[in-house]
Amino acid sequence: MMKIAVIILQLVLFIVFAPFLSGLIAKIKNNVRMRRGPSVFQPYYNLAKLFSKGQAVSETASWIFKVTPFVVFSSMFAAAMFIPVFIFSTSAHYLGDFLAVIFIFSLGRFFLALAALDTGSSFGGMGSSREMFISSLAEPVFCLVIFTLFLQFGSTDIAAFSGIHPLSASSVVAATALFLVTIAETSRIPVDNQETHLELTMIHEAMVLEYSGRSLALLEMAAYVKQMIFFFLVAQIIFPIAAPGLSGLIPSVLWILWYSARIIIVAALAALVEISVAKMRLFRVADFLGFAFILGIIAVVCAILGV
Amino acid sequence: MQGMILLGILVSTCLMVIAKRMPSLIRSFRLQSFCLFLATFIIALGEHRPDLYIVAGLLFALKVLLIPHLLYRIIKKINTNEDLGLFINPQLSLLLILVFTYLSWVFTVYFIAPGDQTQISTLSIAFLIVLAGIFLMIFRMTALAQIIGLLVMENGLFLLAATVSGGMPFFVEIAIFFDIFVSVIIMGFFVYRINKFFTHIDVNKLSRLKG
Amino acid sequence: MRFFSFYRGYAVKMINIPLKQFFLFDPLSLFFLSVIFVVSLPAAVYSVGYLRGGYSSAKITLSWFLFFVFILSMALVVTVSNALVFLVFWEIMSLVSYFLVVFDTNHERSVQAGMIYIVMTHIGTAFLTAAFLLMYKHANSFDFLAIKNACQTMPAQTRNIIFILLLIGFGTKAGIVPLHLWLPYAHPQAPSHISSLMSGVMIKTAIYGLIRFVMFILGVDSSWWGILILILAVISCLVGVIYALMEHDLKRLLAYHSVENIGIILLGVGLAMFFLSVNMPYLAVFSLIAGLYHLINHAIFKGLLFLCAGSVYKAAGTRDIEKLGGLIKKMPQTAVCFLIGAMAISALPPLNGFVSEWLTLQAFFLGAANAAGGAKLFLGLCAAMLALTSGLAAACFVKAFGITFLAQPRSRYAENAREVSLSMKAGMFFLAALTIVFGLAAAGIMKLLAKAAGAATGIDTGSMSFSLNNFILSPQVSRNTYLSTPLLALALAALGIAGFGIYMAFGRQKAIACKTWDCGYYKLSPRNEYTATAFSKPLRIAFSFFLLPYRKTRKIRESFYLVKSFTYETHTTQVFKKYIYDPALALVLKSAKSLRRMQPGSIHLYIGYIFITVLLLIIFMRKF
Repeated sequence: MMKIAVIILQLVLFIVFAPFLSGLIAKIKNNVRMRRGPSVFQPYYNLAKLFSKGQAVSETASWIFKVTPFVVFSSMFAAAMFIPVFIFSTSAHYLGDFLAVIFIFSLGRFFLALAALDTGSSFGGMGSSREMFISSLAEPVFCLVIFTLFLQFGSTDIAAFSGIHPLSASSVVAATALFLVTIAETSRIPVDNQETHLELTMIHEAMVLEYSGRSLALLEMAAYVKQMIFFFLVAQIIFPIAAPGLSGLIPSVLWILWYSARIIIVAALAALVEISVAKMRLFRVADFLGFAFILGIIAVVCAILGV
Repeated sequence: MQGMILLGILVSTCLMVIAKRMPSLIRSFRLQSFCLFLATFIIALGEHRPDLYIVAGLLFALKVLLIPHLLYRIIKKINTNEDLGLFINPQLSLLLILVFTYLSWVFTVYFIAPGDQTQISTLSIAFLIVLAGIFLMIFRMTALAQIIGLLVMENGLFLLAATVSGGMPFFVEIAIFFDIFVSVIIMGFFVYRINKFFTHIDVNKLSRLKG
Repeated sequence: MRFFSFYRGYAVKMINIPLKQFFLFDPLSLFFLSVIFVVSLPAAVYSVGYLRGGYSSAKITLSWFLFFVFILSMALVVTVSNALVFLVFWEIMSLVSYFLVVFDTNHERSVQAGMIYIVMTHIGTAFLTAAFLLMYKHANSFDFLAIKNACQTMPAQTRNIIFILLLIGFGTKAGIVPLHLWLPYAHPQAPSHISSLMSGVMIKTAIYGLIRFVMFILGVDSSWWGILILILAVISCLVGVIYALMEHDLKRLLAYHSVENIGIILLGVGLAMFFLSVNMPYLAVFSLIAGLYHLINHAIFKGLLFLCAGSVYKAAGTRDIEKLGGLIKKMPQTAVCFLIGAMAISALPPLNGFVSEWLTLQAFFLGAANAAGGAKLFLGLCAAMLALTSGLAAACFVKAFGITFLAQPRSRYAENAREVSLSMKAGMFFLAALTIVFGLAAAGIMKLLAKAAGAATGIDTGSMSFSLNNFILSPQVSRNTYLSTPLLALALAALGIAGFGIYMAFGRQKAIACKTWDCGYYKLSPRNEYTATAFSKPLRIAFSFFLLPYRKTRKIRESFYLVKSFTYETHTTQVFKKYIYDPALALVLKSAKSLRRMQPGSIHLYIGYIFITVLLLIIFMRKF
C-alpha cells in the first residue's frame, strides 16, 4: 500500500512541476534575448485556459483521434512511474526496466502519429512523417546509452545508476549522447521549434495542430512530463545524488535544493543550446543523430575499456 | 521346332523393315508377335509351368489381337495417307538389317559366348529385334512407326529374357504387359492429337517447333 | 505397413515397416506443430468467406484440397525423424504452395511470381539434398538420431561445409537476405489466407530445419557459425524494413516485414548458437527462448495482418494504399484487428511483439556482460540495430495503418468498401485475441518454451527459471531486471482512466464537430491528405545510399510558358535484383542459348544420339 502511495505521490509531483520546467526554459531564453517575455508560470495559465475551453473535433476523425490523448497521457505517466524520484528502486521496477521505457514512449508516439493522420490535414501527415523519421533514428542511440549504463552498472534497471557513482568518461559521453536524444525527442531546436507553427518547421506542433480544449491540455501535459523525464535521466547520469537521509531539517532542505538544481542545470543547458544554434534542415537531422550514434559507440568502447 | 520359329521371327523382322505403308507394318508386327507366342507356348508345354501359360496367353491377347486392332483403329481415325515416310528406301533398309544381323551374331559370339548353338542363334535374333526396333524409330518419319518401334524393342527384350533366365519374374511380366498396353493407348491418343493439330503425323516436321 | 514381394509366383517374404520409427515428438516438434495449427485454424475459417463469390465452386474445392495437403505436409515436415522422408515432405510442401501461389491463374503476375518462387525453392532444396547426402555418407543412415551420433566424430571441414549448405538451403526458404527475392513476389500474389500461412508458418519450418539440423544434429562447436547467422540476421532486419518502408502495395509491405522478422528470430537463434559454442548453457537457452517466442508471435501477428490485408483487398478491390483511406469508418472491426496487429509488430506494450523484442534485447545485454571486449561491442551494435529496426517498423506501420484506414477515402475503391463477412471476421478476431493473450501470459509461455529450447539444445532446463512468478519475467534475478506485461497493462489502463478522470473532472464540456482546420484551408478534399510516398520520403532520403532512388518527370507544354501537365514518378532501385539476380539469370540464359545449337529438333536424331551412346557404352565398358 505504502509503495502505491509513493508512486502516486511521485506522479502528482511530476504533474505539478513539469510545466514549471518548460516555463523556466522559456524564461531563460527570453532573458538571453534581452526580452521580458511571459512569466515562469505561463504554462500553468495555458493549461487552465485550455481546460475551460470547448473542443472542436474534425468530422473526418475517428475514435482514434478521441482516444489518443488518453493513450499518450497514460504512456508518458507510465514511463514516469519508472523514474525513481524519492526512494531508489520504486516497486514499479517489477513492471519493467529501462528498455521497457523506450517501448512505452513508442506507444505514445505511435498513437499520436496515427491521430495526426486521422484528421486528413496535410500538416498532420507532415508532422507524423517527420516525427516517425526522427524517433526511429533516435532509438538506436537510446539503446546504446542503455547498453553503456548496463556495462557500467550491471543492470538495465533505472535504479541501478541512481545513487552515488564515480563519474567516468563513459558516463559523460553517454550523457552527451542522451542529451542529443533529448533534444530530438522533446522537440527542441536544433531539431524542432516549439514556438512556431510554420509548415516547414514544425514537427510535434504539427501533430497536435487539430487538437483543442482539454484534449490539447492533456497532450501538452504529456509533452512536459516527457521532457522532465529526459532531463531527469540526463541529470541522474552526470550529477549523481545520494539516497535521501532525512536526518535533519537543514540536510533535507539542502538535499531537495541540490536535487532540483541538477534538473534545472540540465534545463538551462538545453535552453542555451536552443538559443545558440539555428534549427537544422529536416534531412540534416539524420546526420545529427548519426553523430549521437557515434558518441554512443564511443561511450560503449569507454565502458568496455573500463575508463 | 525352335529353328522354324526363329526363322519366322527373322522373316517377319525383314518384312517390317521393308514395309512402305502402315497396314503392312502392323501386319508384320502381328506375325512376329505370333511367332513369339508360339515359342513361349512350346516352352510352357515343355516345362509345365503355369505362369508361362498365362504369359503366353497375355502375349497372344495383347500383341497379336488387341494392340494391332487398336493401331488399325487409330489409322482409320486419322484418315491420312497411309504412307510410312521412309528416310532410306526398302532395299537399303534390308541391306542394313542384314548387316545388323551379322553384327549381333558377332556380338553374341565374342562378347557373351553362351555355349550351345540354339542359344547363340536365339540371342542374336533377340539383339537383332531390338536393333530393328531402334531402326524403325530412327529411320521412319511418322509417329506410328515410333510406337511400333517401341513395341518391337519390347518383343526383343522379352525374347532375350526368356532365353537368358527362363523368363522374368511373373509379377514383372504382368507389369510390363500392362505398361505396354497403357502406353500404346496413350501414344495413340497423342498421335491423334498431333494429327488434329498439325493435320499430319510426320514427326520430322515437328522440328519446326524448335524455339 | 506390409509389402508382399512376389518372386516366380511365390510370396517370398513380408517386409514389415513400422511407421512409428519415422516420427519424433520431442518438445521442439510439438512447439512447431502448435505454431502450425494456431495459424491454420483461423486461416481455414477465414477462407470460407474469402473464397466465396470470387471463384467457381470447383476451384474452391480444389483450394480446400490443396490447403489440407499443405498443412499436412508442413505438420509432417516438423515431426519426421528421417532425413529422406523430411526431404520428401519438404518437396511436397513447396510444390503445393506453388500451386496455391498461382491459384489466380488469370493474373499474369501470379504466374510470374510462382515461377520465381518454384525456381528459388528448388535451388534451396538442391543444397539441402547435398547436405543430407554428405551426412548420409558419414552416418550410413538417414535417421536423425543415428546421424546425430555420427556427427560427433565428423571432421571439422565436413561440418563447416554441411553447415554452409544447410544455411543456404534453409535460408532460401526462410527468406534470409540475399536469398529473399521470391518473398515479395510470391506472398502478395497468393490468396490472403495462403499468404498468411506461407508467411506465418511455412518460412518458420525453415527455422525449424535450421534449429533441428544445426543445433540438435550437427552440434555447434565453432563460434563463427553463430556470428555469421547474427550478421546475416542484422542485414535481413535492416534490408527488410527499409524496403518495406518504400512499398505501397499492402501485401508486399507485409512480405518485406516477414524478411525483417525472420531476421529478428535469427538474432535469437544465432545468439543461441554462439553461446552454445562458448559453453554458456543458461544464456543459450535464454536466447533460443527469445527467438522461439518471437517466432510464434510473428506467426500470430503476421497471420493476423495478412488476413486483414485480405479483407481490405476483398472489400475495396485494390491493394494499393495510395488509393485507400477512410476505411476505419466503413470497416471498423477489420480496422481494430489491423491496429492490434500493427501495434504487435511495432513492439508496443503490452502486446506480444514487445515481450519477444524485449527478451531478445535482454539476451544481447546479458551476453555482452559475459563476453570479451570485442564481442561486447559487436553485441551492443546488434542490439542497437534491433532497436533501429523496431523504430522503423513502427514508422512503417503508422504509414500502413494511417493511410489505409484513416482520413478520407482517396478513390472510388475505398468509398465502395464494406465490412467483410462473419467468417473472415472470426478468423481475424481469434488471432487478435491471441496476440493479447501471448503478450499478457508471457511468464507461462516462457515455461513451455524453456522445454522446447532444452530439447533443441540438449540442455536440461528443469532447474532454470526465467520468471519470478506467474506474472513477472526476469532474465537473471541477480541483475534486478523485471518485466511484467499484465501489471504494465493494468498500469497503462489505470493511468488512462486517471487521464479520463482529469478530463471529466472539470465538468462536462462542449465539443462541436466541424471540418478539419488545416490552418484555415476550408476546401479540404482527399487530395490534401498526405500520401504514402510523401510519408516515407524523409526515410527514402536518409537511406538513399542503399535505396538509390531515381525519378522520372515529364512535362507536357502548350507553349514554353504554359505547362499543361507534369508527371512525376519516383522509383527505388531494386539493388539485389539488379546487381545479383539479373546478371546471374543473364549468364544462365546465355549458356543455355549456346547449348541450343546442339539441338536441331529432329526426334530421329535424338533417338540416334541415345542409341549410339548406349552402343558406345556397351562396347567400351565391358565390365557389365
